[in-house]
Amino acid sequence: MGKEEVTAVKKRRKLNTSTSNDGTKPVPVDVYKRVVEFEEAEAHLRPADKDAAFFNKTCQDIRQLFKEIAELKTKETLEAKEKINAKRVEASLLLVALKKLNRLEKVRTRAGRDALHKEKQRVDSTHLLLQNLLYEADHLNKEVTKCLQFKSKDEEIDLVPLEEFYKNAPPDIIRSEVTKADEHQLQLARLEWELRQRRELSEACNELISSKERVAAAIAAARSRLDALAPHLKDVLKSTKPLQECLALRLDEKRDEARAASLLPASLFLLFKNANAYSDILGSKVISVGVCGDEDEARRHDQNNVENDIISSNESDSDQENNDEDQQTKKKRHHRTKNVSKEDKAEAKIKRVFKKHPLNVQVSVKAEDGTALNLILSYLINLKIIVVKFTVSLPKPVTGVSAADVLNGHSILNELYPGDTGDDSPHPATSYLLKNAGISESFSYFIPEIGRPYVWAQRMCGIDFMTSELNEQSVRRAVEPCPNLSVATVENFIMTLKKRLKCRVKLMHELQDLESGKISPPKGSLPPSMRLAGSLTQWQSVGWPEYSQAPSTAFLVTEGLVSANDLLYRAIITRQSAKLVALVALRSDYPKSVPIFSLTLHWNGTHHAGINDDIRDIERVVNTEIGLEERKHCTLSTQITKLLACLDILLETSDSPEFPPDKVILHPVRGRNRSKPYKFVNQGVGVFVHH
Amino acid sequence: MLNKMLYNTVLSQTLSPCGKYLVAGNIYGDLAVFDLDRILNPVLELLSVEYNKPKHIHSIDSKKQICSLVSTEKFLIIGTVNEICGWDWKAVVSVKLSKPVWSIKIPSQTFLDYNDVNCMWLSQDSEKLYAGCGDNNVYVFNLEDGSLISTYKGHNNFIHSIHGKNQQIISAGEDGLVMLWDTRSGKSHNKLEPHTNNKVSRPDIGKWIGSAALGDDWIVCGGGPRLSLWHLRSLDAVTVFDIPDNGIHVSFFHDDCVFAGGTSKHFYQMSYSGEVRVELPVSATTIYSAVLRTKYSTLLSLAGSSPEIDLCTSLNYKDQVLHFR
Repeated sequence: MGKEEVTAVKKRRKLNTSTSNDGTKPVPVDVYKRVVEFEEAEAHLRPADKDAAFFNKTCQDIRQLFKEIAELKTKETLEAKEKINAKRVEASLLLVALKKLNRLEKVRTRAGRDALHKEKQRVDSTHLLLQNLLYEADHLNKEVTKCLQFKSKDEEIDLVPLEEFYKNAPPDIIRSEVTKADEHQLQLARLEWELRQRRELSEACNELISSKERVAAAIAAARSRLDALAPHLKDVLKSTKPLQECLALRLDEKRDEARAASLLPASLFLLFKNANAYSDILGSKVISVGVCGDEDEARRHDQNNVENDIISSNESDSDQENNDEDQQTKKKRHHRTKNVSKEDKAEAKIKRVFKKHPLNVQVSVKAEDGTALNLILSYLINLKIIVVKFTVSLPKPVTGVSAADVLNGHSILNELYPGDTGDDSPHPATSYLLKNAGISESFSYFIPEIGRPYVWAQRMCGIDFMTSELNEQSVRRAVEPCPNLSVATVENFIMTLKKRLKCRVKLMHELQDLESGKISPPKGSLPPSMRLAGSLTQWQSVGWPEYSQAPSTAFLVTEGLVSANDLLYRAIITRQSAKLVALVALRSDYPKSVPIFSLTLHWNGTHHAGINDDIRDIERVVNTEIGLEERKHCTLSTQITKLLACLDILLETSDSPEFPPDKVILHPVRGRNRSKPYKFVNQGVGVFVHH
Repeated sequence: MLNKMLYNTVLSQTLSPCGKYLVAGNIYGDLAVFDLDRILNPVLELLSVEYNKPKHIHSIDSKKQICSLVSTEKFLIIGTVNEICGWDWKAVVSVKLSKPVWSIKIPSQTFLDYNDVNCMWLSQDSEKLYAGCGDNNVYVFNLEDGSLISTYKGHNNFIHSIHGKNQQIISAGEDGLVMLWDTRSGKSHNKLEPHTNNKVSRPDIGKWIGSAALGDDWIVCGGGPRLSLWHLRSLDAVTVFDIPDNGIHVSFFHDDCVFAGGTSKHFYQMSYSGEVRVELPVSATTIYSAVLRTKYSTLLSLAGSSPEIDLCTSLNYKDQVLHFR
């Protein structure tokens, strides 16, 4: 059978060769194909194992044949040769079979490889599909999370709270059967309700805006009408002027004043307002108020005010720098620069620091007899204090020299309130500001020029430094005027000043009398029959140096009972050869505080309280034993009368023939201290007794 | 009006028996009690500006000046006007003064309605109190029951000073008389009139005698007339002290020295021969009272017409000034 196959193959080969030979013809392609198909089918049909066994057997046979051939060759017989030929053919046939087998195997292998390849491709495509699916799944997952994280715009809307929604919304929106169960529906319902409400509100808003516009238009119209009215009013005012003049009304002036007042600094305005109120109540005969100064300047100042406030705090610092620079350049060019320019600069600086507000308030307080005190209160812009200057106007000239002093000069306002001498600025920051501005002199140095910063003046203007002093941190902070303080102080001040003025006028008359040697004792203190032998021969004012250097005043000065601010006088009382010199110190608040006498007697030597007890006793009587009743009247005259009586007693009890006893004295000397009877008892003709 | 205390005048002083307190009385009827312990031995930590002020000021009677002060073991005896009263020391040094323990009224014997008890002297046994008064008399009281033992009459004007020693009493008056009294008989047995002695008299100041004191053999007295030393038996002016004064108000013997003060800038200590040993400057215009303590430690206190009282712990210089105001 094998043989047949080999032959078949042989035939095919022949065919093949033939076909290959005439490959140019179109038919042979099909032939080759057919062969291939046949071979493939054959290879497919034949089991591979059998072919393998067949191959093995064929190989065995061939080997057997080769062996037999080899044996036969050894024999080298003819027979053998034949046999060898036979055998060679046989072997060749077997080789053909082998060839066939090999070919089959090749086809089979190719078929297997093709199948494997096919399978591989299938697996690959499947795998690709898997990859695609996985990717898609991943993408979908991402999309899902994105969706989950999505925030709807409606969440940002500030919705009406739930309870309110259920309470107020109409039922067709609420649809409680749906919304109670479904939260989404609830949200939708709430959104809808919100939308509806907002729409309503927006409508209302629009309505209001339009009505506002209407009103604004109405106002504008009214304003334009009012503006048109102003010229008319001015005309009317102009036309009333003759009538005002006719009726002596001060309407215009008052209006001018009010306008000027509105330009005043806040503190002075307070004062003006309050003082004006008092002048309305008490009448302009007692107190009158006015505003003076350059209004235009004030207006300009008012406009710059805000800016100035800011600048001023820096200004002082830069001043300091400038000052330093000045000094440095000065040193460098000392030989060239003249002193004059520097002085000018310093003056300008001083002027700037002590700059006054262009407007000031004039308060004039009048006493009953027509004596008036005109106060000019100005505001120092940079130092933020009030300073006072004043003039006195008298109804008739004062004759006495010392009497005139009482109503002139600083003493009239000195210590109007205890301790308020007006010698230094009450503002704690002043010295700092001066130093900062490079001014070496203290504030009191400038007082003659700018006026005195009395504490009462600050308080009248509502400035209280006492409270600001407590808080040291805020020293540089502007002190705000306090209206209540001003009200309280103005009333008090007017009354105090009136009283002071009254006292001064009275004192002035008293001094006038004393200067002409006339003593007018209050009625009833001495009986008319009593004759005081001593007489006042001199009364004049003395200076502090003379007063303080007199031996008799030593203890008053060391005790601090008399100061240079007091009014000081020298009285000389004479009686024959005896001369009594009395140095009198009047406090500013006379007659509230009793004048202090210190005595020196020139008679048989010089005697004063430091070396003579009799003089000391007289001083005690005169200085400390003034009854309340006596103080109501002219204290000074009472004291001088007393002094005259005491002098008489002293001289008349001295057993000197020059002074015969004239007064009724019960007992001239009493006690170990040998005191004299200085106490007067108004009985009968009047008796002098001991204390 | 000035405070009248600026013109304060202290007329008398005395020390408490324990030596701790100095009491001074002034013309306004105030009694100042000074705590000497605090003033002389100040505790530095407790030292204040007030340390030299009185511990208490008691007002006895503002209408009556306190003329004289004497202290016994138990009582502070105050001589004012028309009255002598005794106060318990305990009450005096306490914050608030109560009522006096006892008092003796002395009505005036003259036409005047006041009778100052200008000076008082206590006998050595503290039984009898001698009071020199404004009605020209010296009264002797028994301190046991306050009864009047006798009245010495003889002066023609008020009595300035009284002192005693060895059964004798010496009194000096405004009339210029210095009288010596025998305590046993109650009679005056001698008298001096210094103003009649032209070595001593000073007519421009007056004839009054402000102070007289007895020593064993000597009398010292002065006033308007100069301070002078007289022999007790012969009654001759032995020494006339030449010191610049305008009236003597205080004089006494101590330790062979004469102590004297008055209207002068100094308080003097002099030997019997007239030599000035020590002169102490004083604050007061006139010294009206000087108290000397020798018990415990030496202490001299000088007061007069001034709110200041000078305190000397040594007799040689002034070292403290107290303020009675």
